[in-house]
Amino acid sequence: MGFIKYDVNRYTPKQMVVIPLVLLVLSLAVLGYNMTTTGMPITPGMDFSGGTAVTLFTSESPESLSASFSGYPLISIGEGVNNGKYIKFGPMDDDSLQSLATLINERYPDAKIDQIGASFGETLQNQAAIALVLSFIGMAIVVFLAFRAFVPAGAVVLSAFADIVMTAAVMAVIGIELTLPTTAALLMLIGYSVDSDILLTMRVLKRQGKLDEKLSGAFHTGIIMTTTTLAAVAAMWAVTYFGNVPVIPEISAVLFIGLLIDMMNTWLTNAGIIKWYMLGRGAK
Amino acid sequence: MNSKELIALLKNWQVALLVILLIASAFLIYPHFDDGEPATNIKYGLDLSDGTWLQMEFQSEVVGFQTDRPVSDFLADIQKNLDAEIYQVDQNKLEIRTFYTREQLETAFTESGGTLTSYEQGVSKETAEQVKKILEDKLNALGTKDAKVNPLTGLNGISHYVRVELAGISLSEAKEIVGKQGRFEIRMHTTGNATEHVLYGDAINTVGVPTQSVEGKTWGIPFTFTEQGATEFRAAAIQYGATTDPSQHYLDMLLDGNVVYSAPLAPSLAANLQAGPVRELSASTGSGDEGLADAKNLEIHLRAGALPVEVKVAGSGYVPAALSDYFKTMAMVAFIVATIAVGIVIYLRYREPAIVLPMIAINLSEIVILLGIAAAIEQQLDLAAIAGLIAVLGTGIDQLVIITDEILHEGRVPSPNIYQKRLTRAVGIIMVSAATVIIAMLPLALMDLSTLRGFAIITILGVLIGVLITRPAYGKIIMAILSK
Repeated sequence: MGFIKYDVNRYTPKQMVVIPLVLLVLSLAVLGYNMTTTGMPITPGMDFSGGTAVTLFTSESPESLSASFSGYPLISIGEGVNNGKYIKFGPMDDDSLQSLATLINERYPDAKIDQIGASFGETLQNQAAIALVLSFIGMAIVVFLAFRAFVPAGAVVLSAFADIVMTAAVMAVIGIELTLPTTAALLMLIGYSVDSDILLTMRVLKRQGKLDEKLSGAFHTGIIMTTTTLAAVAAMWAVTYFGNVPVIPEISAVLFIGLLIDMMNTWLTNAGIIKWYMLGRGAK
Repeated sequence: MNSKELIALLKNWQVALLVILLIASAFLIYPHFDDGEPATNIKYGLDLSDGTWLQMEFQSEVVGFQTDRPVSDFLADIQKNLDAEIYQVDQNKLEIRTFYTREQLETAFTESGGTLTSYEQGVSKETAEQVKKILEDKLNALGTKDAKVNPLTGLNGISHYVRVELAGISLSEAKEIVGKQGRFEIRMHTTGNATEHVLYGDAINTVGVPTQSVEGKTWGIPFTFTEQGATEFRAAAIQYGATTDPSQHYLDMLLDGNVVYSAPLAPSLAANLQAGPVRELSASTGSGDEGLADAKNLEIHLRAGALPVEVKVAGSGYVPAALSDYFKTMAMVAFIVATIAVGIVIYLRYREPAIVLPMIAINLSEIVILLGIAAAIEQQLDLAAIAGLIAVLGTGIDQLVIITDEILHEGRVPSPNIYQKRLTRAVGIIMVSAATVIIAMLPLALMDLSTLRGFAIITILGVLIGVLITRPAYGKIIMAILSK
């Protein structure tokens, strides 16, 4: 692949880790700031905060739609391509919901409705948080068991941690909400972001040969790996985003961002640390 | 490749297994025409097939208790204190069938001379099963095709939610069906087989759980009449002569016009009725397991389709047929475009069709086997699961790249001996990264975060198929191709 000009051997370990380290601190600051001001590191979507979302296709203007639904706790009306409209409502009681569902069924029989109660949303949010923590711990255990050496395993876990934190920070900044699908994407990232790190660590620790050669060989393979996944994810995003399909665009957007960040963390953070580790043990 | 080499290749068990599984999957998926429409055995989740889902939260809690007093005294006090129906799950667990906060219960338990040792919102397994049965009966009675009722049970056996999925029914309709009750009626035999109306279901105040009588060991369902109901019941019993000659005047219970229970008044009850209204009754069903089973059914009937525990809608959704068909098409398009994109990237890297084509073929076979297994275990595919499927496609290719590069190391095709060593090393890398993905997805597969479970299961299956079947087979195939 000609378009990547980065030479993994050109920089010293210190130079390599400095950029990701600064970005990691910045990301933690963004998430921390959100946490103190809103109570959540990323804006929670309807899945977690509760509410009702309606997806329908109509040529009616948002104004006329908002007039139709004025009796309900309307939050926002979004517009997509092909007359797609996303209408969001705040939490409401069972009777209002029943009357809203009846109204929508009469006027827009082809509308998709999703509703999550506030307390159910909270339960989902707690479970999602537990799932994220358990996944991360599980991944870390597998990595430590596989390498049984503190520095290389720690480097993999650190770069996976940086992947998740930076991805979450980007989500917060560009306004991707934390929902069930985006949580799933973050979990998948925990699993997948480490595979290029594992490739790098395995090659450097277990292969014979010069460190420089092993690093650039691993880089060569690693980049093509991540690019193929990026290509699949980007294609999936484009088709579903422009096709007004829910769920999949959010998952693929988070995976795409996460994989880009993972490239940096693998070939700067993790490669920097493992290079330092090998040089310290007298490798050439 | 000539036929001889092909046969040699097929003798590798990895390759043979791949081929067998591919054929098996084709049968499992079973693409066919149904009324001229293409159809498969793959089950779709609700966002890809029209219908409604309702997730309902039980307004009830399962609590642990401890008391120094006799348990029955303690229970009676608690019952009085809370004015709620209480079901004893086991020696030290109670199900309280009205919603109370932990603090409220702690106070009530302390006042009754006990302590609350644990608290969790939800119902016991038995109650969850009963709710499932009531809802299924109700949905089947209405002729609803393809209705699914699943209590979501945690690892501790307590169900916090019950999820209902109804194909082809709108959200407002679904809510009405679930909330609707049957018509319960009590009639009394007058002369011969002729019967007269006595009471409707609204005269029944509470319905208890199956209890065994102390003397006869027979099972029965205690229930109470409202004050007015008890007066009317007495008047009817006297009018038709059931109090003086019970055996000639059977009592029938009907649900939606069908007799669900028929028995004479007990002599003692008949005597009591003669003296005054009786509010607390028990309908006995016989002894042994059969009596218990009948009692359970009668309990459901007495409730006339009402659930033993109140439920509140926690979440719901509806996808119309037009949209679900469209999503299915788009998911298919996304999948094809993703495959092409992956193919282009791989081609740019290797520029060798002899490597690129097997890679894509192996990758697609992974998806086919995955779909075959999904069809076999009836795992539903929803939008999230399809995103998982496409991600499996992207990362599956990663692993094939690792194998290819590991084998092509230093640009030469190695001797079989070195080749095996390198393949083992490549598989080592793949195993570790597969293990991390599986571990990372495990919490999602075990917990019940609604749609995400399908995503996690599909991802884990995809990784397992890749690691155990398709990638080892690829190692053999690519070796055969490269050694030419």
